[in-house]
Amino acid sequence: MLELLSYGFIQRALAASLLIGLVCALIGIFTVLKGVTFIGAGTAHAAFAGVTLAFLIGVSPFLMAVLFGLSTVWVTTFVQEKGKMKPDVPIGVFYTFTMALAILFIGLMKGYRPEVYGYLFGSILSVTSLDLKVIAALSIGILIVLVLFFKEFHFISFDQEMAEASGIPAKRLSFLLLNLISLAVVIALKAVGAMLVFALLVIPAAAAQQWATNMRTMIIYSALIGVGSSWAGVFLSYWLDIPSGATIVLLAATVFLFSVLFSGKRQKARPV
Amino acid sequence: MTTHPIIRFSNATFSYNGHEALKDITLDIFEGEFVGVIGPNGSGKTTLLKGLLGLIHPTSGSLQIFDCACEELRCHHRARIGYLPQKERTDPNYPITVWEAAMMGRYGAMGLFKRPQKQDHEIVMESLEAVGMADLKDQAFGQLSGGEQQRVLIARALSQRPDILLLDEPTTGIDAATQRRLRDLICKLHQQFHLTIVFVTHDINLISGIVETLVVLKTRLHAKGPPEEVLTKAVLEPVYGDEVIIAKRDQKPYIIVRDTHNHA
Ligand SMILES: Nc1ncnc2c1ncn2[C@@H]1O[C@H](COP(=O)(O)OP(=O)(O)OP(=O)(O)O)[C@@H](O)[C@H]1O
Ligand SMILES: [Mg+2]
Repeated sequence: MLELLSYGFIQRALAASLLIGLVCALIGIFTVLKGVTFIGAGTAHAAFAGVTLAFLIGVSPFLMAVLFGLSTVWVTTFVQEKGKMKPDVPIGVFYTFTMALAILFIGLMKGYRPEVYGYLFGSILSVTSLDLKVIAALSIGILIVLVLFFKEFHFISFDQEMAEASGIPAKRLSFLLLNLISLAVVIALKAVGAMLVFALLVIPAAAAQQWATNMRTMIIYSALIGVGSSWAGVFLSYWLDIPSGATIVLLAATVFLFSVLFSGKRQKARPV
Repeated sequence: MTTHPIIRFSNATFSYNGHEALKDITLDIFEGEFVGVIGPNGSGKTTLLKGLLGLIHPTSGSLQIFDCACEELRCHHRARIGYLPQKERTDPNYPITVWEAAMMGRYGAMGLFKRPQKQDHEIVMESLEAVGMADLKDQAFGQLSGGEQQRVLIARALSQRPDILLLDEPTTGIDAATQRRLRDLICKLHQQFHLTIVFVTHDINLISGIVETLVVLKTRLHAKGPPEEVLTKAVLEPVYGDEVIIAKRDQKPYIIVRDTHNHA
């Protein structure tokens, strides 16, 4: 175990999964409570399309992932306001559109590019030190914004209209929150892959919600589940030599299932 | 009561995608006035409140609140308007306590980047005491009964220390005893804090004894005046149809509306 911790790639994987697990778990709280999980799924696939384009034309995959990820939020918000429709419609359109682009770009590539599949299925054990720096910088940025606007995000998740009515700049903050969700997805993309990043965003918060009755416990449980399953996943996938992203998600899903079955929150009688 | 209107609708029309929900409304509401708003389903009651909150703007005519055009309403204005939305079921699993929910009323006044101070805690405690929910402050909000949730949301609105309180059917889905307690609470708040109150309800009899002014909506402003002038067959029949019976109870009009297409 201690010997394992001396490996550079394990250290990087643990650091990356700590940051990603934490950021996704915390952003995930608002994603789940506000009921905007679709933006996470949409962003993940759009960002993957960005990555494929980057490999095709030879630019930074990360930069393209950010660009495509954020554009999901912008396009969806714009279309939603213009077309006065529920956001899941434009997301559904954009999501399939970007997936089609990804398939197109992969088709246009010459030869087999294994790196592309790394972004699809995730490979936390191959995080480079540059990757880690980028992940750290963005994670800290997201966490700072999250702390700064925490009470407002809490309010707009509880009731957007009530928040706006009582003097919170709810529309702008809601847009900011969607952008943060999208960024969180992008930084987790390489580690857990486009197919699975959605799980990292939604599962810890959803599991935590089965137990928590106030915001503080919600934060603690969600963070513990997110970071715990990420770390456990890193070790397990190394020892058993199985894919890391899948291991992390399966662990988190197990915790979720356990929470749904055993939390008993709904049955709990209210003390008089 | 002062003679200064705090709310002034002038020939205001509100529409959703071209469909006019409220038409040509001219109405003044004065500081400290207690106004009841009645009307059948879809008559524009909620729309009236959303206009007052600056959430929707008139397509023609104008609406002034605090001497400010509603289009110009800023966050600090809105923080002075307490609002109890028409009830939708909140997710019983939402992780929020009674205290946290009531504290949200302070967020607008606190401003961005600020944490609740001692004063905010005191105000929230006072508000919860006013609605009789202080003992349950650490309970999960989602696990309260409907009536208790309404009371917490009223406490949230009161925590804003508002000048205007807008209540959209606060007593719907609540048992009769609790309804009367809520009504008496609102009455008390009106007197105690000199609040301007707009109380939307289907339950005419619940409020007819306490409001100073009754407004009857049916897309247009159908009638406005003291309850005893408004609650007559001549005024109500065109709005509610033939099914209005005006009985007397304790020398006061008691209205029975037999709604043919809606719940009463
Ligand atoms: N968001 C919306 N989009 C489109 N039309 C709407 C919207 N909200 C209300 N309407 C329409 O505006 C009209 C007035 O609605 P409003 O909600 O103000 O009625 P109400 O008097 O509050 O009714 P209720 O007693 O059922 O609460 C209705 O015809 C309704 O269909
Ligand atoms: Mg209504």
